[in-house]
Amino acid sequence: MAPQSPPKATLEHSQSASGSAAADEFQEEEHHYRSGPLRWLLTTNHKEIGSLYLIFSLSMFMIGGAMALVIRLELFQPGLQMIQPEFFNQMTTMHGLIMVFGAVMPGFVGLANWMIPLQIGAPDMALPRLNNFSFWLLPIAFTLLLSTLLMPGGGPNFGWTFYAPLSTTYAPPSTTFFIFALHMAGISSILGAINIIATILNLRAPGMRLMDMTLFVWTWLITAFLLIAVMPVLAGVITMMLLDINFGTSFFNAAGGGDPVLFQHLFWFFGHPEVYIMILPAFGIVSVIIPTFARKRLFGYASMVYATAAIAILSFLVWAHHMFAVGLPLVAELFFMYTTLLIAVPTGVKVFNWITTLFRGEITFETPMLFALAFVVLFTIGGFSGLMLAIAPADFQYHDTYFVVAHFHYVLVPGAVFSIMAAVYYWLPKWTGHYPDERLGRWHFWLSVIGVNLLFFPMHFAGLAGMPRRIPDYALQFADFNMASSIGGFLFGFSQLLFIWVVVKCVRGGVKAPANPWDGATDLEWTVPSPAPLHTFETPPDLRGFKFH
Amino acid sequence: MWDVVKSVLAAFFGVQQDQRRRKDFEQGKPGAFIIVGILLALVMVAIVFAIARMAAG
Amino acid sequence: MRKMFALAALLAGLSGQFPISHATDWNMPVGVSQVSRDVYDLHMIIFWICVVIGIVVFGVMFYSLFRYRRSKGAKAAQFHEHTTVEVLWTAIPFLILVAMAIPATATLKNMYDASEADYDVMITGHQWRWQYDYMGEGVTFFSNLGTPREQIAGTEEKGEHYLLEVDEPLVLPINRKIRLLTTSADVIHSWWVPDLAVKKDAIPGFVNESWTRIDEPGIYRGQCTELCGKDHGFMPVVVHAMEQEQFDAWLEERRQAAAADAGGVDREWELAELVERGEKVYATICAACHQAEGQGLPPTFPALAGNQALMDDLEHHIDAVVNGVSGSAMASFSGTLNPIDIAAVITFERNAWGHETGDVVQPADIQALLSP
Repeated sequence: MAPQSPPKATLEHSQSASGSAAADEFQEEEHHYRSGPLRWLLTTNHKEIGSLYLIFSLSMFMIGGAMALVIRLELFQPGLQMIQPEFFNQMTTMHGLIMVFGAVMPGFVGLANWMIPLQIGAPDMALPRLNNFSFWLLPIAFTLLLSTLLMPGGGPNFGWTFYAPLSTTYAPPSTTFFIFALHMAGISSILGAINIIATILNLRAPGMRLMDMTLFVWTWLITAFLLIAVMPVLAGVITMMLLDINFGTSFFNAAGGGDPVLFQHLFWFFGHPEVYIMILPAFGIVSVIIPTFARKRLFGYASMVYATAAIAILSFLVWAHHMFAVGLPLVAELFFMYTTLLIAVPTGVKVFNWITTLFRGEITFETPMLFALAFVVLFTIGGFSGLMLAIAPADFQYHDTYFVVAHFHYVLVPGAVFSIMAAVYYWLPKWTGHYPDERLGRWHFWLSVIGVNLLFFPMHFAGLAGMPRRIPDYALQFADFNMASSIGGFLFGFSQLLFIWVVVKCVRGGVKAPANPWDGATDLEWTVPSPAPLHTFETPPDLRGFKFH
Repeated sequence: MWDVVKSVLAAFFGVQQDQRRRKDFEQGKPGAFIIVGILLALVMVAIVFAIARMAAG
Repeated sequence: MRKMFALAALLAGLSGQFPISHATDWNMPVGVSQVSRDVYDLHMIIFWICVVIGIVVFGVMFYSLFRYRRSKGAKAAQFHEHTTVEVLWTAIPFLILVAMAIPATATLKNMYDASEADYDVMITGHQWRWQYDYMGEGVTFFSNLGTPREQIAGTEEKGEHYLLEVDEPLVLPINRKIRLLTTSADVIHSWWVPDLAVKKDAIPGFVNESWTRIDEPGIYRGQCTELCGKDHGFMPVVVHAMEQEQFDAWLEERRQAAAADAGGVDREWELAELVERGEKVYATICAACHQAEGQGLPPTFPALAGNQALMDDLEHHIDAVVNGVSGSAMASFSGTLNPIDIAAVITFERNAWGHETGDVVQPADIQALLSP
């Protein structure tokens, strides 16, 4: 993998029908904007809201990451050194909540805001004011969530899965605020999803059929349906908690005739599709980046779409594999084992398609491609451990150990997070008009890859050797693995400062990027100038006859 | 109708010839595909459940 | 490719620096029951399947990355579909998964068949200790973390079984089918012993069933695996498996001790002996929440020391311990502590940390409350 300099600008490219009409628009002067902070508070522009989402996501990623470093610091060696178990539990809980609801999901929504209109030739999102509202709910929700750490009794300390009755009868008083914050984040997600569906179904430029859309748009369309289907379930379950805590009901309180296992069924009926909500857009991103840098059409476009839909449908049928140890009846146990194994088939198809896209391509290794390739390898490793976890009898040994922690961090960090980073490197030239610094990007990539593997790979061994998750202190035989993980954690964590630096540097200046900065890229967003003007496709481009992917 | 079922089954399997797909997208109404898709998904659930029951004895 | 080597080198370097004592520490234990061996085999089969698929898939990937790079003069081919290949790579994984599901189903059915057990043990999870009840034998006891707090705080050298030792292990006979019934008195816990391949959630209001048949005498260690609050990391499980004769002798001894205790309920107890006994009960049962000096962890766990409202209301104090406090973390102890221990701990609390109520709660009075 010898270093490559970024490809030199090649402005001429297949811009058959779309260009001219749209390009004329861009010559017009930008008009009437508020200046100052109010502009950001009131903006309804998809690009500005997209940037807001991405900045928010990055801030949450750093806050959640700092909490992870507190955890890794305490786990550096056996014994309680830095923090007490009460605070440790708040850190694991907040780390999970912030990364899932504050970093990964808003990160993908930010990319959707920026890129979906550009990739389908729409002037903006279908519901711009709603878009503004969806975003501004988030900073409020997460400020409230973070403020619980300062309340008497501390913040949520029952894990991001907040199993009742630990999260109801035995929870700290701040739990009501946690519920309120989660409600707001949930409303934000539902509104965002409605907006994305409305945009994709109604605002495609004339001539673009569904099967002409990029995989990124496709995966987001399916993800948005998943969000609408399951976020209300989450809202329902936290409302039941709210009633149990404050109004004396007993949904989850066995002493009052309630059912703690009901909580888990409801939570995971939300939670498993949620897992796919955090990975399907990543599939879309990688399916867009790999063909660009292999200079070859995506292999099996149709089967990629079908596989995404299949994964989405199956995601509603596998929730109880998170609950193999709660004592389900044998038939249920077998049913969920079989459906979980089934989901490996469409997931495998995706990996095979990516690799066949590489096969006989013309490959270069710019930073976005490096992250996309690392995604394919490391996500697949996470997929393998997922396959192992699907085997119910073996899952009794893996369940709630560090093996599971290793598994879901592999699919979420070098999976979802790497895909977001790949997307940022890939689209930064379009957003800023400058190439990101390729040399620093490479440093960021290699430090991240080494750090992330050193962080999460030893966790497989710790889990198999018997270390439960969510413990602040551990037996001596787990010491080596934890020390390695902690070193990797700090390496990975501090490497992300480099990422921030690359982004800031790129916004401020750098090598000028042409409209299409990557010579293998063919999607619609590359037909508008770089940086993309505030308003694009004000007159929809006529795409009849446009050569899609 | 049979064509719709065949196309949906092909989609479940994830492999479909390009021409057939093109034909489906040009002629078929999306409603028919969606309804058949949901029905077949339910059938699949029933089949997996039946297998699980059989296996459990 | 290079990154794999770099990773391997780093891992090798680390393991050189911190020697790993046993090779088995890197993998799932084979265990000491037929079920645990079956589970281990399943684990290794699926692991090797993943390794083989990984070698093939990553092999093709890295070959492509190496062979078809632009710097080597590669020119992109234009194919983007191939029905036969797509059918094959959908069908083959499906068949592999079916092949994997068959032995997994058989093992699972075996794990679920807890019928015809020789002994029944009821396992109750508490914040943060386990209670074992040998059903029908009249023997029940708590199993608390045995590691001294000084080792956790680091003021004392950590022992060999740091955090994996208890004051009283679960004692079981070998070569007998033991049915394990798990439930909880407060939040959800999970009882896990890797060497037995038994992990079952302990859920309030539910009784879950699992079983084991241990082949070899020995001491097997595990932990609670469901987050259950502050001391989730400090409630280990220890099973001591022994020959049948030894087990019978142990059980008989425990039975007699229990009988002797039961006789003590009716007699009149002195303040001093109740306080002495209560101090021990407090340390093992109450101190985890209300803390060693009774200062508590407000607001979830209120302070007892200096709690004037509590000292003024003996009846409420007894009621809270016996019946728990609804809607709070305070559990009912009527089913888990015997009348002597309840009387002792209340008496202790009312005469410790500067409290000088002089109240003496008699076990017989508690007994009367429990069985009116």
